[in-house]
Order: sequence, then structure tokens, then C-alpha cells
Amino acid sequence: MNDVLAIEIRGLEKAYGPVWALRGVDLEVPRGEVFGFLGPNGAGKTTTIRCMLDLIRPQAGAIRVLGLDPQAEPTAVRARVGYLPGELNLEPNLRVRATLRYLAALRGNRIDWGYVEQLAARLQLGLDTPVKNLSKGNKQKVGIIQALMARPDLLLLDEPTAGLDPLMQQEVYRLVEEAASAGATVFFSSHVISEVEVLASRVAIIRQGRIVETVAPRQLLSMTTRRVRLRFMETVDAQILAEAPGVTVLNEDDATSATLQVEGTMDGLIKALVHLPVADLQTEHPSLEELFLAYYKGQGEAA
Amino acid sequence: MFTELRFALGRLRGRILGWGIGLGLYSLWMIWLYEDVAQMDLEGYLEAFPREMMVFFGGIMELASPAGFLDTYYFSLMTLIIGILAIGVGAGLLVNDEEAGILDLVLAHPIGRTALFWGRYLSLVLCLAIVLVIGQLGWILPPQSAAMELTWVEFMMPVLPLLAVLLLFGTLALFLSTALPSGRLASAVSGGLLVGNYLFVGLARLDEGLEPLVRLTPLHYYQGGWAVRGLEWGWLAGLLAASVVMALGAWGLFLRRDIRVGGEHEWGLGRSVRRLLGRTHRPERAAVQES
Repeated sequence: MNDVLAIEIRGLEKAYGPVWALRGVDLEVPRGEVFGFLGPNGAGKTTTIRCMLDLIRPQAGAIRVLGLDPQAEPTAVRARVGYLPGELNLEPNLRVRATLRYLAALRGNRIDWGYVEQLAARLQLGLDTPVKNLSKGNKQKVGIIQALMARPDLLLLDEPTAGLDPLMQQEVYRLVEEAASAGATVFFSSHVISEVEVLASRVAIIRQGRIVETVAPRQLLSMTTRRVRLRFMETVDAQILAEAPGVTVLNEDDATSATLQVEGTMDGLIKALVHLPVADLQTEHPSLEELFLAYYKGQGEAA
Repeated sequence: MFTELRFALGRLRGRILGWGIGLGLYSLWMIWLYEDVAQMDLEGYLEAFPREMMVFFGGIMELASPAGFLDTYYFSLMTLIIGILAIGVGAGLLVNDEEAGILDLVLAHPIGRTALFWGRYLSLVLCLAIVLVIGQLGWILPPQSAAMELTWVEFMMPVLPLLAVLLLFGTLALFLSTALPSGRLASAVSGGLLVGNYLFVGLARLDEGLEPLVRLTPLHYYQGGWAVRGLEWGWLAGLLAASVVMALGAWGLFLRRDIRVGGEHEWGLGRSVRRLLGRTHRPERAAVQES
């Protein structure tokens, strides 16, 4: 086991009764990295994170978090980790401030309260609101604040932007980037490809309890196709776009609009559009399932 | 541990005040009646009632004595009444937060399962002790208590066996909540055992043949109001020891098992049957349930 690594997992297996959630997960995350953990619902993302915190015990495998064994030294691990659960639940009868004070007390009150107020202001969260009156998005903000407030060495964020509006998502991305700039390792799970692209320097794809691939986010895009809808200001022969690399014209809805399919990056299409009178351009991001289909199709062709 | 104790006690403060004040007011009402009841010649009247009924009313045949009055009107009933509080708090001590998904976040902080368990267990002990003391003040504080000719210490003595019995059933509920799939089930089983034991003790007074069996149950060793005449220290120690053993068992189970999130736990009966039939020894690597 390696001290340069923030997270090191070998052969992790976990079953819930007769059902296997993890079937031999291997992962390495160096210190200081922002690492994405991408997978559809039920792939084993949350189970992997909960094993790292000794909330559940695996049937087999070895885990080191910041050089420590979570089962042997759970409190030492948790003292250095900030965790945002995938399904955040808070005591409803407390106010936000009391909730954060309680969680700070569990950390021995070694919290800079000025930083907590700064985080709350950035996320536009009132600290004196009762938790039971909070919307899902505002509860998520409480979860983000409690994960960040101790300035931990490792952030384990399970679907960090779930329930947040796009502006708040951007603010959370900035907070994560700031934490990483300050030296923290960030391990976050998501089933949204665009989120992983924005934040992560590397991403592991998990499916049915196994790590399928560990790649750079830009490689995700090269694996898949996306759909592009174009509207022009005047009549255009959209077939000329078919000459651009990776572009297929699916249909010309009328003389001023067209739907295309683009494989890989958008670079070829953008260059082809430079001299055309584009009124509007809409792209549909590929879903995770589409990405997996593309990935397995690619593997099949390679074989 | 003390952070968790403070937090757990804070969450119980409504129940402590509600139960404590309710019991205190009931005690005040009862002490007001004592002098009148003591002066009434009730023995002949009570003897007319069927014995099958009277065995369930504690020391009713000595109603004119302080011990009989306290036992009949308070301490024999309170095992059942405050038992609701004890079992409710005990069963929910860990599992309410676990079933609500709150424990997942709490235990992701640098607090060990041991500190969390004992901090919360101590809150159960203090909750019951404070409720009983507030309730007892209703007997002690009014001037009418002078008619009983008991000292403060004698008034407080029956609180100890009652606390021990309540703690035992509260701890049983806690133990069952860590072993069974839900807190509600643990409450139901513990409540059933408490009521069953109460009825069984009454039946054993009618049928001497049940005596060897009733000796195996905790309420046989409960003194009730008779403790004003002197404590049975052996019985008290036995009840407390049983609570400690069950608390240790619950602690051991809590240390070993997974922290559940909604819908994960199950009885596992089907699995046990399959194992008995020798069909499988390892979970099948078929599908993935939880992310």
C-alpha cells in the first residue's frame, strides 16, 4: 500500500444478502487529484464510498484511505474526510446552525466558524432556518457545507449537485476546485457525464459492481455520439455538413433546419459552421447509458 | 461520547418534561387523597372483590399503609405506563436515526460506534431517572406528604427498583432494535414481553404452580412501593446486571453490523433456509441492488 495515494482499493467485494453490489473493485486515487466516479444508479458507487468510511463492511478486499485502514482506524480516517451522502438526511427539528454546530462538535469543535458563514453566504443558505422547512436543494447545501467546513484532506462527495439549480451547481464546482487547489483530494460520484467533464481530472466508470474503465474525461466524449439541432437564418443545403469529420445528417426538417449526429468531438462541425448563417444550435448530451452502449460497441469492434 | 449524550438528551427534553410533569401532577393528586383513604375502613369492602381481580392491583389489600398506597396507585402501574416511554426511547435510540438515514452522516464524522452507543445509552438512563425524580417530587413536596410519615430517602427508595425495571425493558428494546429488521418491531416485541410479564406475575399469585416459572421473569424481582420498607439489594443488582448484559449485547451487535440505509435490511429467513438445504453458501453474483 502506497502513501502517495489518497485512496487505494484492491479487490473490494460487498454483498447485500444474495445480491452482489461490488464484485472486485480496484481503484487508485493519488493525493490532490479530483477524481470522478461515474456510473448508473445501482452500479455500486455509494457502496464503495460507504466501505471507505467503515459504515459497511466488505466481504473481501483491502481499502486504504489516506494511508489508513478504515476498519482498523475508523475515527482517524473520518477526522480527515468530509463526506456528503448521496441521500442526505438531517435531524428535522434543528435549525441549520444547530445542525452544523452539532456536526462541528463531533469534530471536536475544530471548525473555523467564519468559514462556515462564508460558505453559507456563497450558497445563499440561511443558517437560522429550521431544517424541516428546507427544500431538497437547500438541504443539499447544508450537506455541502458540513463536508467542506473542516477543510478535510479528502472529500467524498456522493452526487454533490443533486437537487441544486444550475447557478448553485456552478458555485459547488467552484468550491470543489478551491478545495482541490488548497491540496484536498476530491472523490465524487455522479451519473451526469457533463459534471464529471467539468470537475474531474480522471474518471472511473463503474457498472454492475466492477470498474469498467479509468479514463480522462475528454476520452468519454470521444467514445460517444451526440445529437445536434441547427436552425439557420436562411435556406442552406445541410448536406454540405456531412463532409465534416464525424458528422452525419439525420434529417433536414425544412430548408432552414437540420438534425445531425456527431461522433467524437464537436471541432469538425464547428469549423464547418463558420461560414453558415446559424440562428440557433442545440446539443443533446449523451446519457450515461448511451455512453456505455458506445463503449461496449467500441470494445466489440476492437475484438 | 459526551457530545452525543448532550445531543441525545436535548432531543429527549420534550419527552422528559412531558412525562415528568404529567407524573408529578398525578402524584400530587394522589398524595392529596392519601389521608382520606387511610382513614376509610376499606378492608372489608375490598375483600368482597374477587381475588382474580385484586392480584393485578399491587398492594391494594394494604391500601391504608404508605407502602400499600404507593404500590397500588403508583409503582405497580408505572412499570406499564412509564414502560411505554422506556421501550419507545430504547427501541429508537439508534434505529430511528438509522432508518431515517441520519446515522449515515453522523458516523461519517470522527465519532466511534462505541462512543455513539454509550453516549446514547446514557441518555436513556438519564431520561428515565429524571422523569422518575420529577414524578416523585409530586409525592414529596406537598405538605400532605407528612401524613405518610416517610423521610425523603424512604420516598425515593422505590424509584430505584422502578428505574431498574424500566431500564431493563428499555435496554431489551434497544437490544432487539439492533438485532431485528426494524425499530417498530423491537418496540412491539418488548412491549408484549412487558405486558405479558405483568399479567404472568398476577396469575402466579393465584396459582402457586406458576411460582417456579415466574421466578425466571424480571417483574418477579420488582419491589414496587414496598421498597419504602427497605430495598432488596440483591434483586436490584440482578435487574441492573441483566440490563448491563443486554446493553453489552446490543453494543456488540452495533459494532459488528453494517449501518443500514432504507430498505437494506431483511429477515434473511429465505437465505437461512437455502443454507440449511445446502443450496448456497455464498451470495450469488447476479445483480446489483444498491448504488
